[in-house]
Amino acid sequence: MSNMTIRQFVGQRRGHGGRWHWTDIATWIWLIGGTILMFGPALWLVMSSFKSPAQLAEFPPTLLPYAQETVMVEGYDDPLPLYTARLEDGTTAELAEIRRIGTNSQMVDPADPGTRIDVNIADRTPIRSIGFATGNYVEPLVANDFPRFLWNSVFVTVMATLITLLTNSMAAFALSKYRFRGRDAVMLLIVATLMVPLSVILVPLYSVVNFTGLLNSLWGVILPTVATPTGVFLLRQYMLTIPDELLEAARMDHASEWQIYWRIVLPLAAPALAVLAIFSVVWRWNDFLWPLIVLSRRELYTLQVGLNSYAGELNVQWHYILAMTVVTMIPVVLVFVFLQRFITTGIAGAGIK
Amino acid sequence: MVTAPLTLLARIVDPPLRLWQRWTGLNGMAAFFLLPNMAIFGVFVLIPLALNFVYSTTAGTNILLRDRSYVGAEQYARLLDCANYLEPLTCREDQFWTAASNTLVFVIFQVSLMIAVSLITALILNREIRGRSFFRAVFFFPVLLSPVVVGLIWKWILQRQGLLNLMMVNLGLEPEVWLNDRFYSFVATIGVSTWAHMGFYTLILLAGLQAIPKDLYEAAEMDATPPTRVFRRITLPLLGPNLAVVLVLALIRGVQIFDEVFVLTGGGPGTSTLYLTQYIYEVGFASLLRNPGLAAAASIVMGAVLVVLTLAQLSLSRRSERAGER
Amino acid sequence: MATLSLKDIRKSFAGIEVIHGVDLSVKDGELVVFVGPSGCGKSTLLRLIAGLDRPTSGTIELDGRDVTGVNAADRGLAMVFQSYALYPHMTVRQNLSFGLENTRMPKAEIARRVDEAGRMLEIGELMNRRPTQLSGGQRQRVAIGRAIVREPSAFLLDEPLSNLDAELRVTMRAELAQLHERLATTMIYVTHDQVEAMTLADRIVVLRGGRIEQVDTPLGLYNQPANLFVAGFIGAPNMNLFPATARDGQAELPGGLRIDTGPGAARDGKVTIGIRPQHMHLAEAGEQTLEGRVELVERLGAETVVHAVTAEGTTFVTVLAGQPEVAMGDTLHVTPDRGQVHVFDADGQRVARD
Repeated sequence: MSNMTIRQFVGQRRGHGGRWHWTDIATWIWLIGGTILMFGPALWLVMSSFKSPAQLAEFPPTLLPYAQETVMVEGYDDPLPLYTARLEDGTTAELAEIRRIGTNSQMVDPADPGTRIDVNIADRTPIRSIGFATGNYVEPLVANDFPRFLWNSVFVTVMATLITLLTNSMAAFALSKYRFRGRDAVMLLIVATLMVPLSVILVPLYSVVNFTGLLNSLWGVILPTVATPTGVFLLRQYMLTIPDELLEAARMDHASEWQIYWRIVLPLAAPALAVLAIFSVVWRWNDFLWPLIVLSRRELYTLQVGLNSYAGELNVQWHYILAMTVVTMIPVVLVFVFLQRFITTGIAGAGIK
Repeated sequence: MVTAPLTLLARIVDPPLRLWQRWTGLNGMAAFFLLPNMAIFGVFVLIPLALNFVYSTTAGTNILLRDRSYVGAEQYARLLDCANYLEPLTCREDQFWTAASNTLVFVIFQVSLMIAVSLITALILNREIRGRSFFRAVFFFPVLLSPVVVGLIWKWILQRQGLLNLMMVNLGLEPEVWLNDRFYSFVATIGVSTWAHMGFYTLILLAGLQAIPKDLYEAAEMDATPPTRVFRRITLPLLGPNLAVVLVLALIRGVQIFDEVFVLTGGGPGTSTLYLTQYIYEVGFASLLRNPGLAAAASIVMGAVLVVLTLAQLSLSRRSERAGER
Repeated sequence: MATLSLKDIRKSFAGIEVIHGVDLSVKDGELVVFVGPSGCGKSTLLRLIAGLDRPTSGTIELDGRDVTGVNAADRGLAMVFQSYALYPHMTVRQNLSFGLENTRMPKAEIARRVDEAGRMLEIGELMNRRPTQLSGGQRQRVAIGRAIVREPSAFLLDEPLSNLDAELRVTMRAELAQLHERLATTMIYVTHDQVEAMTLADRIVVLRGGRIEQVDTPLGLYNQPANLFVAGFIGAPNMNLFPATARDGQAELPGGLRIDTGPGAARDGKVTIGIRPQHMHLAEAGEQTLEGRVELVERLGAETVVHAVTAEGTTFVTVLAGQPEVAMGDTLHVTPDRGQVHVFDADGQRVARD
């Protein structure tokens, strides 16, 4: 009996009814531990992004973001922070702090604004409730840099994806539906360069981009990435499954080759195009090394380069960085939530990324 | 709708294309369809690929080729000039050798860890458990995150006031400044890159597992085959092609590791997490004494390693395919 | 409306010639059927006419105009494919109007033609469905409709009925015949089914191995097959062929039956005598007979198919009217209808006896 269940663990698809076996427990420990490990760090980041700078500097940190409660006290223009203070007579009271002088805190009872009470700062603890420091998000969004980075990233992602879809699908169409001399050579070239990573051609690519005048331009980021062999390969494999007779029928229907591409092949290749579009969006949104090299003017930075530059500053403003990281994650999380199934089946099928 | 301008565009380009088609025939149209992609591909992939060799034989700090002088194999000689190859610091280009040996150790540990973890996860996800597609998605989540975000997330967790130290304190242990420690930061780069990519490899292995016919296991069960033997003689061999793909892809990407490490540790402390791509980036672009020729030579050396790995994949997957037929 | 002529058409694929010089002319409004076993080149020939492939040499003329180098899209022909090749992402209406939109026809005219085709083919109800939501017969109609709306100068049909079940095939065959009657447009129809060929064609082109074996009307082929191949291919059951040796214009069949081989090429030497199963009757007293032992009797009611083998070991089939009393193992005596006996010379060519 135990033999069977171990076998199920090492290979079989079906679990088993009845009693729990140690492999079941191991499975669930792995899965739940994995879930915490996979989502936990991102959740921790999101939580942290709502903390105020003071709270971020605390150790040990709290899990959830808290904000200090404040109160309006008569005679003071700004709201005052609330504390629980231990008084000299040993009782505790909720007091508002007016100002701090050395180790002394001048406090006032909100119910009795006239009387000032001096309390040692060691004898008071802030009153806090769960609260979100949304300023972390709002402030960089109205500041100059961040909206620019965001726009640059959106521009690069959208343009690169559109061009990728158009040029890759045209090439895939030619390579799957026409018999011409040199077709196999072109295909071989594309497959051979599937494995040429960017990091191998950094220097000469930089010089080409420099030569074409695209240095310090978003097009210098976009163009080198759009002729992806992966995309051509993926689309070609899909288009090979479209029967040639459909194209011939269209030819008999007085359709030009362009119309055949645009009105027959593209709509029929929609599933593969969708997969490539999703991949392209994720790739281009996440690109880092190449934009880092091409873009040296700050106003052209994409989000990824911008984030890195913030993190590399002398005085790291973590509260902003965390919030901006969360914003950077949003499109990818949306893709994950809505299109995850699409991608996972795409990868399982084609083994690409 | 969104497609309206596209439709209009497609209609406008049609008549001239029809003329072109009448003039050149179908092969002319094939050329037309290939042209945009191949032009971009040629300019931004093929030409750089060829230029790389040219750059690796020149010297100077200027990126413009006409301002560079031909020096033959000098850059390669400089890269390979070592008193003792086992001791990076005795090399003239000690950073290169440090980066290379770091990368080697990184790849060995990271790839082993990656394969172990993703194989176990794939085996577990292959069982008929409740919520399987949910868990499959869970492990895939970090794959979509950008490397910069991955780097920042973990930098935030491993920092002095981070989550890891909170747990250390709760367990009654001493907190550490993890990324200031040569050993811990090296381990962190291995762990973080595995965390970020394991979901991808899990998917490939899972697809392989699901392609194994169930009746093979049932036949083995009828023969009362011991479970470890089932795993060794059925699961592993039939998973062979997928394992080969995973092994080589993980190797290829391990050798190129850059983004998340650059954000997480910046190669430090010291040179403890300096890997090859960062070396090329810094020599080629970032450092004050930049030397594009040396960077090109280094990237060709790295490219050669990648070509060998790719060829290894081809022969490996071909061999396992043949084994599968048998 | 179009005449079509093929002049010395040759076609090679990868250096291997598959069409060896075909000459053919098709009259305006004619329904010509290409028939032959698979691999005979009939579909290739049709694709050459369509313009989907280019001949290696030779010329194709439509209405006297050389169209050899003209793209398929510009020849003004319409084609019905074996697989129907309906655009799966378009509705029936879009499938029908696609070709017309490509010629930039006004919308109203497109709608008129599509509706008319819909009425003619009784697919008006299906206009908003997609091909996957249609039955095989409905898809067939849409495929035909897509050709009709174009009002082409000629229709090309590539085994259009082969994907239908037997019953539907008979119905559609009749409808196609009516359609041709109504449209009176030139049609070229490819099939491997000789019954389709016989029932539909004005003229049949029998192809084998990339060559035309014979071009004639259905009855012309049946009554005067030009050679052994055509004789064996047309007619069911197949024509009985008896090898024999002629002497002085006379050949003797097993059982002593003597056949006149005429004064020409087959006066002496090896000949083949062909007799259709339908052209024999049970011998009456005094008649010269063909003799064989009965091996199988198939009683179909209206007629009886008898398989027999001669003393020399040649099997032959005869179709006898009604329900004669013949049993397995009997010796069968039949007499051919003298006027319906075919004689082929040593090369398999028909010998004219008159």
